[in-house]
Amino acid sequence: MKRNSTIKARPLEIILDQTVLFLLFGFVIFMAFVKPSFLAWWNIQSILIDVSIYGVVACGMTILIIGGDFDLSASSQYMWAQILFVTLLNATNNPFISIALTLLSGFILGTINGLIVTRFRINSFITTLGTMTMIRGLCLVFTNGKMVSTLNPFIKRLGSAEFLGLSSLFYIYLSVLIIISLMLAYTNFGRRFYSTGGNLEVARLAGINTAFQKTAGFSIMGILCSIGGIMLVAQLRAGSTQYGTDLALTCVAATVIGGTQLSGGAGSALRTALGMLVIVVLYKALIYLGLQAYYQNLVKGLVLILVVMFDLFMTRRRAIRH
Amino acid sequence: MSKKLEARYLRDKVVKILKSQGVLIGLVLIIIIASIVERSFMTASNILNILRQASAIGILSLGVTFVMMTGGMDLSVGAIVSLCSLVAVSIMNGYAQAEGANGVALIAILVVMALGFLIGMVNGSLIVLFDGRLGETFIITYGMQIVVASLALLYTGGQFIAGTFGTGLYQKVSEGFTPIVCFLALAAIMHVILAHTRFGKQMSFIGANIDCARMSGIKVGKLRMITYGIGGMCAGFASIIVTSRVYSASPLQGSGYELDAIAAVVVGGTSQTGGTGGIINTILGVLVLSVLSNALNVIGVNANAQLLVRGAIIIVAVGLDMLNKNSAMRESAT
Repeated sequence: MKRNSTIKARPLEIILDQTVLFLLFGFVIFMAFVKPSFLAWWNIQSILIDVSIYGVVACGMTILIIGGDFDLSASSQYMWAQILFVTLLNATNNPFISIALTLLSGFILGTINGLIVTRFRINSFITTLGTMTMIRGLCLVFTNGKMVSTLNPFIKRLGSAEFLGLSSLFYIYLSVLIIISLMLAYTNFGRRFYSTGGNLEVARLAGINTAFQKTAGFSIMGILCSIGGIMLVAQLRAGSTQYGTDLALTCVAATVIGGTQLSGGAGSALRTALGMLVIVVLYKALIYLGLQAYYQNLVKGLVLILVVMFDLFMTRRRAIRH
Repeated sequence: MSKKLEARYLRDKVVKILKSQGVLIGLVLIIIIASIVERSFMTASNILNILRQASAIGILSLGVTFVMMTGGMDLSVGAIVSLCSLVAVSIMNGYAQAEGANGVALIAILVVMALGFLIGMVNGSLIVLFDGRLGETFIITYGMQIVVASLALLYTGGQFIAGTFGTGLYQKVSEGFTPIVCFLALAAIMHVILAHTRFGKQMSFIGANIDCARMSGIKVGKLRMITYGIGGMCAGFASIIVTSRVYSASPLQGSGYELDAIAAVVVGGTSQTGGTGGIINTILGVLVLSVLSNALNVIGVNANAQLLVRGAIIIVAVGLDMLNKNSAMRESAT
């Protein structure tokens, strides 16, 4: 679909296809005029760190959305990863074992989601609404709603390490992004997500194990949520049920802004990365302009609605055209 | 031989009843277990208490049932309850200081229901404008939830409003059997609409197959919009019952209510993809969840652990429903 539109290049189409970039440049230029310090290096660094942590989870959300699914429980999984990781670190004092176990737990939670969706054929929205509530309950029972923190030196070094002026977290994100993008574009396994999301029945008849594919999507999502949680702990050296309540829907918004359609079957992780950049720049700009927190939320909600409306509008337009 | 057949027939019948009345059986089981474990569960005052608490969430769930019947989802109803609570209490505080100012109370109720209806219609029109499906309804109504919740917070600057109005009609709404009667009366009206009018049948049709419904000449967009409006209106009415009970309003009054309402609808058996279910199912779902949550409270399970139970119940209820449907399909295929 993408290739088609570049061959028959129409001016309007090109602009609409590159909305993300235009939005991004628009924001940045606007902010540079209003508050020149917005482009200060430390602010750019902080934007990139935020993009990295949420972006890792957004990669997983992109895979799921391409495959025609959805994960509302990402926020809860992310919280659980933080809490589990901090607890393990404090208990074992061994960062590698803690990381491995946290990733394993993410894999298990994601796989459970996937198995419920595929075995019982429950819509992924409802499934993950249920698991979201459950995992959140688990976090609250585990911590009693309190914040947990760690003083582990390795994690402190991981969080504050820099290379070429950029945080180590950014490089973790970059490698995840590259791996996921390559997987989606060049491996059979990755491409099967597109067929599964494009038309489930056709994919099944073509011999693709769609149940496996969907479950694998959720498993990857679980692992990526754990990575995100670990990255947040590296940055804050703490975990809490308060961090990341808006994660799931922010990731969806980033995916949609990036141009991946909610109906599934198309999209890419790189575009989601751009979408995430737009969102984080917008949020930072709102904070930077000194807007009251309630107004910030108002704008976030409006942006989410506008983005989905825009996505729907584009989908319907394309459907009419073909 | 015939005896064997008869036994098998009987067994099939029992299984069928067990499957179709699963929610009712669950409800009875919960009540029996809770009353064995804790004597104080089965007292008249506790039962009245359960029903009174169930009525606010119940009214909310009735609206959500309509929305889910047409294959949609409404995550914004909790935020609508918050905003409407604030508006209702500030109207009452402003104009009903005297005792027995029933006219003002009536106006407050009507204003709040109109406000809820309006917000619901905004939801509906956003969704209908480009023909959004289940996924989009989730995200658009989630966006509306954030927007309406921030409006509620902005309305009072995050403060909660204590009630200072005089006693009268407004407070009577939550006294004695009134909330229960309100809930049941509204349920009866909505049941008749859903099961016995053309409007209701068309709604079920849209939930079952939206494209097919459109091709048969049903005004899909208009109908879907109205269901969201009704959902919002129910939320407005629920806010009256809640604020009347607690005699105050907080901008976070209704946060999380939407999950309770959705859980009630889903547990009752109104299908996630629309088309099947109904008001009676929802009433059962509301009863199951409120009896369960009360039972857990009485037994002494804390609120956090109850989240675990609630999440599990949503999944198990929908899972059983899907298994049921799959086996029914297999039966009709053979």
